[in-house]
Amino acid sequence: MNRLIAIIVLVVGIAAGLLLAVGRGGPDEPAAEVPRAATVLPEPVPLPEFSLVDQRGETRTRAFFTGAWHLLFFGFTNCPDVCPTTLATLSTVTKTLRDQGATDVPGIVLVSVDPERDTPTRLAEYIAYFGADNAALTGNETAVRELTEPLGIYFSKVPLGDDDYTVDHSSVVLLVNPAGEFAALFSGPLEVSDLVHDLPLLTGAS
Amino acid sequence: MQNVMRRILPALLVFVAACSGGDAPPVVVANVEVTPPRPGAGMSAGYLDITNNSREPLVITHVTSPEFGKVELHETTVEDGVARMRPLDSLVVPPGETVVLERGGKHLMLMRPVDTPDAVTLSLYSGETLVVSVETPVRREP
Repeated sequence: MNRLIAIIVLVVGIAAGLLLAVGRGGPDEPAAEVPRAATVLPEPVPLPEFSLVDQRGETRTRAFFTGAWHLLFFGFTNCPDVCPTTLATLSTVTKTLRDQGATDVPGIVLVSVDPERDTPTRLAEYIAYFGADNAALTGNETAVRELTEPLGIYFSKVPLGDDDYTVDHSSVVLLVNPAGEFAALFSGPLEVSDLVHDLPLLTGAS
Repeated sequence: MQNVMRRILPALLVFVAACSGGDAPPVVVANVEVTPPRPGAGMSAGYLDITNNSREPLVITHVTSPEFGKVELHETTVEDGVARMRPLDSLVVPPGETVVLERGGKHLMLMRPVDTPDAVTLSLYSGETLVVSVETPVRREP
């Protein structure tokens, strides 16, 4: 978590510097288009090594993320509000980009922060509901933390009584580049229009 | 005809609840939305606005639905980038005010769907008293 905050502080500082630099440009210089919502890392950070299984039960490692852009979200199927709202938003964004003819539209990957309940079978049903091309990753808690902790992604199981529980979790969405590196993040309430604006800028697609 | 009734019925039910007098305070429910049970865990969420036109605080203690085995009042908060969801013991609507149940805030968590419903009836209770019942079509997503 501290690492994530440090990254955000660093990026915000650099963004402020860039804004000042842009502000000094002459009146005739068109301002370069900048992301509205994304926080871009000054240097992309390689995803850590991990070994999880996808919704088909196939082992997936860091190599899974190479060769295409991905949006990475951390959530769980027993979450009725934030997780489906985020996944529905991301699905609408990628569908809109495809309809606009954009190239390099990111794939959507859900990483379960509730691996105890989120079996591959359950995740397969859940993730396909939001789009046939979506993927989900799960495994035992230790294996999930090998991916989440180096990225500063927090999750914690919270008992609710009657043997029930919920999971507090980071709500950010990470953008991972085709080299398998964490390149940018979206935090706060996600707006479809912001992501549709930002993603082609970040992926260099049109 | 069925579609027309589906549109009219929620408004009618709210009107009846508001006018029925007795122990029920005048309450108006609007913008009701229930998501389909998502495959996998079978969870739905419910969102609505509850307006209390009475001079007494309205305390919603529980909500039932024949289409779901269990309905809970919940609240999502996002602080420092961490989303937390907690059950609420009750929902208080002060006199003359509206409480909005919305995405990323207070909401209904609907569990154990009986079937894949096309429409859902929500009954809001204050203790033993039925405050209002409303039927809404299930919104398809995304």
